[in-house]
Amino acid sequence: MTSLRQLSTVGVGYLLLMFAAGPAHGQETLAIKGGRVLTLAGPPIENGVVLLRAGKIVAVGADVAIPVDAKVIDAAGKVVMPGHIETHSNRGMDQTNENNPNVPFLSVVDSIDPAQDYFDECRRNGVTTVAIVPGNNTMIGGQAAIVKTAGTYITDMLVKRAAGIKISLRPTNERSRMSQLVALRKELDDAKADLEKERKATTAADKPAPTGKDTKKEDQPEAEPGQVPPRRPPVAPGGGGEGPPPPSPEEAAQRRAALVRLLKGEFPAFIYCELAMDVHQALRLMKDYQLRAILVLGADCHKAATALAALGQPVVLDANLVFWETDPVTGDDRRIALPAVFRAAGVPFTYQVTGFASGNLFRAPNLPATLGSNYLWYQAATAVKYGVPRDEALAALASRPAKMLGLDHLVGTLEPGKDADVIVLSGDPLKLDTWVDHTIIRGQIVYQRDQDRKLKDLLQPAPGK
Amino acid sequence: MRRQGAVLGLMVLLACGGTVRAVPPVLIKARVVHTLDGAPLAPGMVLIADGKIRQVATTITAPAEAKVLDLGDGELLPGFVNGYTQLGLEAGDSESTRELTPRTQVGSGINWTSRAFKESLAEGITTAAIGPGTANVIAGVGSIVKTAGPTIKGRIVSSDFGLVVTLSADPASGNNARARPDSIYVRQPTNRMGVIWMLRSTFDQARRTSDPEGAPLRSVMQGNRKLIVQTRTYQDLVSLLRFQEEFPCSPVVVGGHEAYKLREPLAAARIPVLLAPLTTSSRQGPEGTELSWNSAGVLHAAGVSVGLTGMFPLEQARFAVRFGLPKDAALKAITTTPAEVLGIRDRVGQIAPGKDADLVAVSGDPFDFTSAIRWVMVDGQVYDFSK
Repeated sequence: MTSLRQLSTVGVGYLLLMFAAGPAHGQETLAIKGGRVLTLAGPPIENGVVLLRAGKIVAVGADVAIPVDAKVIDAAGKVVMPGHIETHSNRGMDQTNENNPNVPFLSVVDSIDPAQDYFDECRRNGVTTVAIVPGNNTMIGGQAAIVKTAGTYITDMLVKRAAGIKISLRPTNERSRMSQLVALRKELDDAKADLEKERKATTAADKPAPTGKDTKKEDQPEAEPGQVPPRRPPVAPGGGGEGPPPPSPEEAAQRRAALVRLLKGEFPAFIYCELAMDVHQALRLMKDYQLRAILVLGADCHKAATALAALGQPVVLDANLVFWETDPVTGDDRRIALPAVFRAAGVPFTYQVTGFASGNLFRAPNLPATLGSNYLWYQAATAVKYGVPRDEALAALASRPAKMLGLDHLVGTLEPGKDADVIVLSGDPLKLDTWVDHTIIRGQIVYQRDQDRKLKDLLQPAPGK
Repeated sequence: MRRQGAVLGLMVLLACGGTVRAVPPVLIKARVVHTLDGAPLAPGMVLIADGKIRQVATTITAPAEAKVLDLGDGELLPGFVNGYTQLGLEAGDSESTRELTPRTQVGSGINWTSRAFKESLAEGITTAAIGPGTANVIAGVGSIVKTAGPTIKGRIVSSDFGLVVTLSADPASGNNARARPDSIYVRQPTNRMGVIWMLRSTFDQARRTSDPEGAPLRSVMQGNRKLIVQTRTYQDLVSLLRFQEEFPCSPVVVGGHEAYKLREPLAAARIPVLLAPLTTSSRQGPEGTELSWNSAGVLHAAGVSVGLTGMFPLEQARFAVRFGLPKDAALKAITTTPAEVLGIRDRVGQIAPGKDADLVAVSGDPFDFTSAIRWVMVDGQVYDFSK
């Protein structure tokens, strides 16, 4: 620790600056002391200290010495925990879905608007990392990105530019489920052929296997014709005869490059399953193409909970955690609480939040619950309400999504070496009167409740206003 | 849940069938009983017989035949009253062929078996005031019903809790000014001004004639019927305050998205507000209204009587407290306040002897997000939601 401090005082901090992703105060040492520290990596630490420097956590414990030059946040009586992580979000984007159902070459990075109120809400509610994924209305919806929720430009926010690819099993453009699957499998088959071609070419040239980042199909020599499945003309969007001419085979392969990276295992697929039947198709796709996938479940998928238990990996639940169903035969009405169903089936999960809803005056039935369910912490409270143990409900806010996104070396727990993404809460994270007092991202305070004028205005509107 | 409901329903049917003592009394023990009639009892007991609350005290010696329901760490609340909703009106909530339908009865449009009643019941709502939608200037009279019960007749608390009018731009929506004013397609009003004009001229006409269509309006002006006013914007409420000066009436504001902006005049005029459901996901309400998270809190602080509506009363109360409403006021806002405003306080809204046995059993502190509703009682009948 001392050596690190010397390092920064000597001024070698310029080097660190590149990682700290921010102005010079990012290197200053920040000590959060006196709070109840929920590390999510072990038992809570009472009256603990969390020391942050150069965008990283440098120490966590009950007896950590605080350097004299450190800026101290007094967290006495408060709770300190890792910043929350959203495993799947369609928000923060200029537009959620592309109209064309097959766009693996697009990236949400080009659509994210750092000025959106969504990011403001994230910081106010302790969400520090979000996987922004294209919406559910495209077959292959483009590439997801993982971002921090603070920054002026998207480049300031990026954690991982290509963090996955979105696949939706809900039919798009009025297709049937059958043709949706055929079209999807054709794209994956073509990508598989591209990959085999690429592998052959590299073996032929006796080169080491490519890392994937610099593969350009058009530069590769043609494979033996017999080995590649005959390529049909690509399916035009909507299946209509109009529109631009289909791309050339080279161009089509280039558009599929991200699918090849998916097949190589460079990033996972976020597969949206609208209905329980889609879950089985998703599991088959994962097996057939050896896909690494994060399953994003629609409400109906609770019927497939048992099949999901066999998969042995966590899933992302629908944002409406509690809803009603009527049995079409018996007419029996049943309330479904997703956290209870998935817990009973032994399937670990993380949450999504509801987006914005238009306020429909009094027509309450069937209106999604927009009170609270737009907060990740509230989803955890709902899980506890329906029987999920507290520790597990809290893990689903940070440590579990970090693992699912392959970021557990960076975020999700309070441990030395991880990103300094820390939140200070006024009390227990699931209590009614608890608020986020500080949100810290990469060692920088990006939100302070006592300076949140918007919040003040919402809670105490001026008379006549 | 349904099976259990049916069994208990049978018991209540027996009770209604004339055998006075077919159902044994029920003694409920809870860690806290929020009576809403003075300070909470901790611990507390409530004795129920024949669908009514008989006794409320710290300790009650139960009759030998009484069935005991011990809530352990649970807490007991009065059944929630949803002060304004369109529950059960799936087949349409407005008679949209005319702008003025003062004699329309909303009760005839209720689907009594609607799932929405079960959903409401599961959220602790035992009484709901059902009113027409916002498409008419003068829409008709609303009904107050229980969300569960063996007979429709038994479920009706009131088939006329007030005359519902709309003071917003809604009745004008879809009506367009035409180039030819004599066209059969011309409908009035076409804008907000027209809505207010139509309301005032209709009341004025009713005052000066004895036309039967004007009878409900006259009873409003004579003080025999409440005027339920659906409003949203600041100017809706300004119009209401002016209307009230011209025509004597006791208005109740429902909706009131921007009522917090006029809290002082509303308090001075003693106009209660049944707020449209609070949301946390949007700052903008219908008609571009500016929502305030703490509208319940600031209205209450200014002295306005506030009720909370919506499908999730406990969540409404919880968030209202989070945003600044005191806890006791929040509990009142989903029980006694709407009961008082709707004129049914003699029957519901409190845990007190003589009131209907409408209760909500919560697993712990009602102001804890992780506390769940275990069961709900309507007229002495228990509906279990613990699974």
